[in-house]
Amino acid sequence: MVIALVLVVSTASSVLGLALLADSHATFDRAFSAQRGAHVVATIDTSRASTTRLAATAHLPQVSAAAGPFAETNVTATDSSPGAPVIDLPPLTLAGRPAPGGPVDDITLQDGRWPQRPGQVVMESNTDGFGVGIGDTVSVTSAPGRPRLTVVGLATSVSRSADGWVVPTEISALRSREAPAIAQMLYRFHSAGTAGAVSAATAAVRNALPAGAMTDTQSYLNVRAAQSNQVAVYAPFVVAFAIIGLVMSVLIVTNVVSGAVIAGYNRIGILKSIGFTPGQVVAAYTAQVLVPAMVGCLGGVALGNLLSVPLLRKTSDVYGVGQLGVPLWVNLGVPLAMCALVAVAAILPALRAGRLSATEALAAGRAPRTGRGYLAHRLLGRLALPRPATIGLASPFARPARMAATLAAVLLGVTAVTFAVGLVTSLRRAVADLDLTKTEQVQVFLNGPGPVPVKGPGQAPPSAPQSGQVITAALRSQPGTAHYVLEEDGQYVKVAGLVQPLAVTAFVGDARWTGYALSSGHWYTGPDQAVVPKRVLTTLHISVGDTVTITGTGGRTVPVRIVGEVFYQDHDGMTMLTDWRTLTAADPGLRPDPLNFQYDVGLRPGTDPTAYVRALGPKLGSGYGVSINRSGGAEIAIALAGTLTLLLSIAAALGVLNTVVLHTRERVHDLGVFRAVGMTPRQTVAMVLCSVTGTGLLAGVLAVPAGMVVHRYVIPAMAGAAGLGVPPGLLNVYGAVELLALVLAGLVIAVAGALLPAGWAAQARTVSALRAE
Amino acid sequence: MDALVHINDVTKRYDGSDQPAVDGITLQIAPGEAVAVMGPSGSGKSTLLNLIAGLDRPTNGTITVAGRRIDRLSETGMARCRRSQIGMIFQFFNLLDDLTVADNILLPAQLAGMPRVQARARVAELLDALHIERRADAYPGRLSGGERQRVAIARALVNRPLVLLADEPTGALDTATGEEIGQLLLDLNRSGQTLVMVTHNPELAARYTHRAIHLLDGRITGRTGDMFPMSRTAEARR
Repeated sequence: MVIALVLVVSTASSVLGLALLADSHATFDRAFSAQRGAHVVATIDTSRASTTRLAATAHLPQVSAAAGPFAETNVTATDSSPGAPVIDLPPLTLAGRPAPGGPVDDITLQDGRWPQRPGQVVMESNTDGFGVGIGDTVSVTSAPGRPRLTVVGLATSVSRSADGWVVPTEISALRSREAPAIAQMLYRFHSAGTAGAVSAATAAVRNALPAGAMTDTQSYLNVRAAQSNQVAVYAPFVVAFAIIGLVMSVLIVTNVVSGAVIAGYNRIGILKSIGFTPGQVVAAYTAQVLVPAMVGCLGGVALGNLLSVPLLRKTSDVYGVGQLGVPLWVNLGVPLAMCALVAVAAILPALRAGRLSATEALAAGRAPRTGRGYLAHRLLGRLALPRPATIGLASPFARPARMAATLAAVLLGVTAVTFAVGLVTSLRRAVADLDLTKTEQVQVFLNGPGPVPVKGPGQAPPSAPQSGQVITAALRSQPGTAHYVLEEDGQYVKVAGLVQPLAVTAFVGDARWTGYALSSGHWYTGPDQAVVPKRVLTTLHISVGDTVTITGTGGRTVPVRIVGEVFYQDHDGMTMLTDWRTLTAADPGLRPDPLNFQYDVGLRPGTDPTAYVRALGPKLGSGYGVSINRSGGAEIAIALAGTLTLLLSIAAALGVLNTVVLHTRERVHDLGVFRAVGMTPRQTVAMVLCSVTGTGLLAGVLAVPAGMVVHRYVIPAMAGAAGLGVPPGLLNVYGAVELLALVLAGLVIAVAGALLPAGWAAQARTVSALRAE
Repeated sequence: MDALVHINDVTKRYDGSDQPAVDGITLQIAPGEAVAVMGPSGSGKSTLLNLIAGLDRPTNGTITVAGRRIDRLSETGMARCRRSQIGMIFQFFNLLDDLTVADNILLPAQLAGMPRVQARARVAELLDALHIERRADAYPGRLSGGERQRVAIARALVNRPLVLLADEPTGALDTATGEEIGQLLLDLNRSGQTLVMVTHNPELAARYTHRAIHLLDGRITGRTGDMFPMSRTAEARR
């Protein structure tokens, strides 16, 4: 029974861990393959290239498949569902497609149906900020007459070919008067493994079209890089959990199986006495252990697959594909490996038993080797503790190897718990640091998309940029305002050493209070200074303290000293945070773009953000958005860590259960004696529980530093995968109370594992126990 | 005189067995009495002893020890009763191999919560009385059979029980050592210790007890010896 249970948990955690690991590495490629994703999405000026010329590109030697042309347009729109507040949507790319399928970019319809007539749209379900659902109404404000579209479905394209899809005939009605007629062509290439191959194939297509016909392209490699970053972050901790789980499984299974074989020595002796050969004994006993093992493995595979469903669904959502499953090699390989492990663990002691004579085998299974643990009993007996407690504390010393294996199992369990606690804390802090939710509780936008829109139902959005003076006046007059600063996010500068322009987040005014986390250095103190994320430092091969030269749009160059490494992820970490004056030094005529700026607002302690936002909205009036700065969360990682930790803790507790069951079975006669001389059931429970408390406490003491070490290695690896340095606050997450609680986690796991056999021991009939020999 | 142990129409039937192990036995044991329970293997001797010790519960009937119905007690209550009122010795000693002689003897006192100093003094007294004081720190595995049974007797006596139950106390010993242990039990009884001894050795029963009851198939088939010939009050034996 214990063998089956341990293997259920071990196999399930291994299946889950490996499935997630495989998922983190290969999901995009599998999704891309399943959807026949476009290696390149090309935007075509249809006034320059005819449909015939475009169709001909499908037959180029570099092209393996093509789809299109699909008419396309870029629009601005609002969510204008009747009776609901009007919410501005980000700029949208809409494509006209008659159906989701095709030889390239086979779109997955997640919900609803595909548009069947004009006035209907299917929205990309994975683009942040849309917030629209089936049945909502989208008004295309940039098109003449502001046509309204009803959302009839939600779909995902792994190629990220568009933000929404309508019937092809609709596109012309959605174009603004000045917008050019464009279409998208979707290509798959024979060779697209590298950026060079994609570029070469794209160039071949471009050359096959009239000059200037291909106005823009999007490579799948860029999409994959952006998407992979999101999942690559999870890989280090999934690997850490998987390693802990596998080592623990090996330990527990070996302990369980060898313990079961030792416990069966008596039976083996009987078999030999009636004529079984050593080979028959080994075969019989291995088979006897393998049967529950196989049942446990099969149960574990089923449980692992079951648990993986919600987690894989989350990652599959990241990639925009339908439900993913556990790979076949995991479902076959894990149970086979576990069964092989059990067989090895069973054969070794069974071989030893096979070599024993019948009488030796009968004697060997009955009691621990004489002399072991006696000193422990003697020494612990001197402690001023109740006798059942000291007997319990001393009892593991009778089987030191078993105690060591149990200690290791609990140690690994607590290591996983310690690591998970640190991981979750670090993730929460990272999200808070990235989103600045603790310092910058409210954001005010011009034309903003915040969740508390100030426009009334059915009203038109603000038509003209508004002055920041309105906002600052409102903020000054609003009780609860502690700080505010204007943040401009839409600027770019050229930086020597970078081909692409570098995004700049510039602040007009003092922004130190915003509390951006710094991995090293300090916040800028003047217009000639800036802080950048780690990715900029590594890309430019520079360090904090170095100076870079930025070039404004007019060609003026300005030296800027990098004074700090900031924990910041926007623009994939390729950005610079500096004072607005840094930009104006390079570009004196520059003015903040109202469509790209926001006011970051810090509130006085005790101010309720919701009440603040509700009060500020009416003061700002029409055309402004004000929202609470909410954290993006790290639910996938936290759910993963929680599930894996739970499984590993259960496995550790089962390891303890196994040890206590074996120990209780071996000492059943002694239990009878204890009861006969007056030990009460409660004292019996205390004695059995005490037999694991020492192990649990020691495991906790050893495991907490181990878990902290794992945390200290894994968090930087996760941050590194995201191109970020690690601020000290993300590593120093363990407080004294937490550490004490984590040390006690070993005790909790051990006691939880021992409770059941302790109950059995307390309920055992004394007479039967005394008869057991 | 009031009986110390009062067994009234007790039957014990085990699950799956048609034949009761003990069938309608009624028996009284006075304070200071030494009673032998005799009979062939499977006659119900040990079952009867286990019922008196509260190690097992009767299917029917009542068992009273020192005026207390032990058949009604909870497991905890029976354990407490064993600690304070009943001492038990076994054919195969049932000592704990990983505890020293002194610790084995000390164990019931510790379980009963006897103060440490008092418990140690009592153990020293028993070690001395049973002539095993030099073996106090030895482990049971190093002792002879007679020494082990002495340790078992000391452990049974540590909490000054009202009744000492002995299940074939000489059954695993050679003749000379058996004599030695028999004499020890006789001495204990002479000092006032109530004794119930299971044996199928008539000679042992005759020499070391006042009377005997004979069991067959769970029923009393005969009684030998006087009723309460040497009974003493509880005060007298201390």
